[in-house]
Amino acid sequence: MADVQQGDGGGGARHQKKRAKKGSTHIDMTPMVDLAFLLLTFFILTTTMYKPSTLQLTFPVPPDEKDKPELDKVNNALTLFLTKEDQILYYKDAFKPGETQLTRTDFSKITPLLIDWNKTTFDRIQELGRKLNANEINETAYDSLKNLAQKEKEALFVIIKPDKDAKYRNMIDMVDDMAIAGIGKYAVQDTIKPAEETVLDAEKLKF
Amino acid sequence: MSKLKMPRSSPALDMTPMVDLGFLLVTFFMLTAQFRPEEAVVVDTPSSMSQSPIPTENLMTVTVDSGGRVFWDFTDKLVRAEVIKEMAKRYKISLDAEQERRFVNLNDIGIPLQKLPTYLSLDSPVDRKQLDDVSPGIPIDSTDNQLLDWIRVTQLIFSSGSGGKNPIVALKGDGNVNYSVINKVIKIFQSPTVKINRFKMITDLEASRIATKAAEPQ
Repeated sequence: MADVQQGDGGGGARHQKKRAKKGSTHIDMTPMVDLAFLLLTFFILTTTMYKPSTLQLTFPVPPDEKDKPELDKVNNALTLFLTKEDQILYYKDAFKPGETQLTRTDFSKITPLLIDWNKTTFDRIQELGRKLNANEINETAYDSLKNLAQKEKEALFVIIKPDKDAKYRNMIDMVDDMAIAGIGKYAVQDTIKPAEETVLDAEKLKF
Repeated sequence: MSKLKMPRSSPALDMTPMVDLGFLLVTFFMLTAQFRPEEAVVVDTPSSMSQSPIPTENLMTVTVDSGGRVFWDFTDKLVRAEVIKEMAKRYKISLDAEQERRFVNLNDIGIPLQKLPTYLSLDSPVDRKQLDDVSPGIPIDSTDNQLLDWIRVTQLIFSSGSGGKNPIVALKGDGNVNYSVINKVIKIFQSPTVKINRFKMITDLEASRIATKAAEPQ
């Protein structure tokens, strides 16, 4: 195309001028480069590194006749009620009607508390983490040892009970806190016993 | 003297390497870019410090938006094509090839089956978006539990095509939705016909949480 056009429009004077200029074989690439960088800028700016992550959650198989009898046996248990306005109410060990009092806290304070209650296990996991970083043990060993530590008898057992005013975010935060505090034994339950309900409602009135 | 004149260095830089690099980057970004799919609903997922990535295949996502509406999605197009045929049969609705094709190419579905033919006959994304905005989501009541059917049919079709395996299930909930709605969905997951007791919850990666974890005393 370019050749044809040159041949068509070429007057004698023009040809002479060209020869005098000693026309170079270089093509002006500036527009192409401009375009390339424009595209580059566009793609860099529109790219968002959107990477959602996931939390694995396993629920007990329902026909397990509830965990109720088992729960009372477990010592070192902690029951957390997640409720309105991001508040948490908790009690430790078994629930004794009339005696058990709920303590109130919130999400900013619960993490240190959990770590404190789970101190032995948490320290063991920290120690394992240190060993992993120092290449004394490998990843597989770390995972299995961590699992073992979390299944120990003295490890904290947590029951998370979101009540009807809780938000989904509260539940996720709590499950996430389990990972932070190194708690391996935890369950999310929606069954609030009537006796617990009474104490919970009484406590919620104080908000 | 004449020898000195020979080089005649021009003031222009040789930009070839820079241009090469530019094109390399353009190619990279163009090839890796994935345009955001047409989403029926925008959900603000809660954040966590979990770093396990979300699977991109064989994933069934149940989305619950801030209004408590429920959506269904499956990643694999072949399975979607079979699912819609089976669902149409079960709910006695008739869809033509064009409507089925459109369903396969969509993502989240939050339309009750009775209204699905109308929804799928809409050609423009804007019209569909309008209908999505007023849709009540997939019914999850015990009287009309369409979500259970969606899950059941997806499981059946997926496992028959993959030799008895079950699809990965993810729950994508809005952080501000009431837990009771999520609980209803979880109860459907656990119902005896579908038996999903392990599932993933989709969250955003929260940088601040990781930072606090690292700062904790050893």
